[in-house]
Amino acid sequence: MRREKPAVAVSCLLLVATIAVAIGIARGATTAAKPAAERYLHVKVDGGTKGESVNVNVPLSMAVKILPTINHGDLHNGRVTISGADINDVDLHAILDAVRTAPDNEFVTVKSSEQDVRVAKSNGNLIIHVRGSGKEGGKGGQKVDVTVPMKVVDALFSTAKQNELDVAAAIRALGEAGETVLVTVQDAEQNVKIWIDSKSGAE
Amino acid sequence: MILLGKVGIGIVGTALAGAGIICSEGMISVNVETRQPEKHHVFVVAPAMLVPIAMHFIPKEHLAEHAHEIQPWLPTIRASLDALSESDDITFVDVKEPGQNVRVAKSGGSIVVDVNENDETVHVSTPIRAMSSAIEELAATSPAPTR
Repeated sequence: MRREKPAVAVSCLLLVATIAVAIGIARGATTAAKPAAERYLHVKVDGGTKGESVNVNVPLSMAVKILPTINHGDLHNGRVTISGADINDVDLHAILDAVRTAPDNEFVTVKSSEQDVRVAKSNGNLIIHVRGSGKEGGKGGQKVDVTVPMKVVDALFSTAKQNELDVAAAIRALGEAGETVLVTVQDAEQNVKIWIDSKSGAE
Repeated sequence: MILLGKVGIGIVGTALAGAGIICSEGMISVNVETRQPEKHHVFVVAPAMLVPIAMHFIPKEHLAEHAHEIQPWLPTIRASLDALSESDDITFVDVKEPGQNVRVAKSGGSIVVDVNENDETVHVSTPIRAMSSAIEELAATSPAPTR
């Protein structure tokens, strides 16, 4: 009986050690399988005549899961069909390829009495700036800044069809693009900001 | 005496197990408070599991039309509920204006809608699992789509 006690104790120790090792392996596996940090699309609208504010926060992974299931109107399987004959005569893929391979540059600059428009490529981003003069109605001019990573533009036009935009692929690319401010609109009445980051809240 | 004790433990145990099962899908809570012109307060908390159970007792002909309407959207609804249940707690929409605040959020496995106005406060919380069960119950009443 006395000889059996050490054997039982050793067996218990071995069992505990095995469980500890198993838990360690499981934890390691969990850590290794940990998915990339969640990205959130935020939309914030401030201002208005009454001082309203609207905040919308959407996890990108949620949008990627839901979009392909919507089959309504021009949206099918995460892709939007551009209807209308205007697009038929324009080779969007060729234009995109030309923009992609071009060095950083200003592609379009329009200056008029009402507004200035500038389209450029810089540091892997497609940038659009619009500046309103604000002469109409005597209010301050409107400022619009749009920054779209070229990877997102590529994903958007990654479908084989000429008149389709792959919105789901673009959202996936947005998630991989990192934290970025996509759109800001400022005018006398309200401010709009659309951006991507890893915080679930807008603040 | 011992027999009575055993019977008592059995009854209490069964009641606890039943309550546990009924509450397993969480609780739906509705809180409506009106301050003007008259003060009213409605506060209802009900086990979410009662919703799909209650749907069993609704005549199928009443549900069929709604089931037919949501049929094309079932994949989207299922994907949305799956994504919602997997997501962290988050405020999806927050609208503020003077005297009014509307908030839609996910909190602890439930979708919470809060509306705060000067004269009225509304709070509705529904567990996502209960929503899934109710949608599946509704989908089950719809005839299979013909291909």
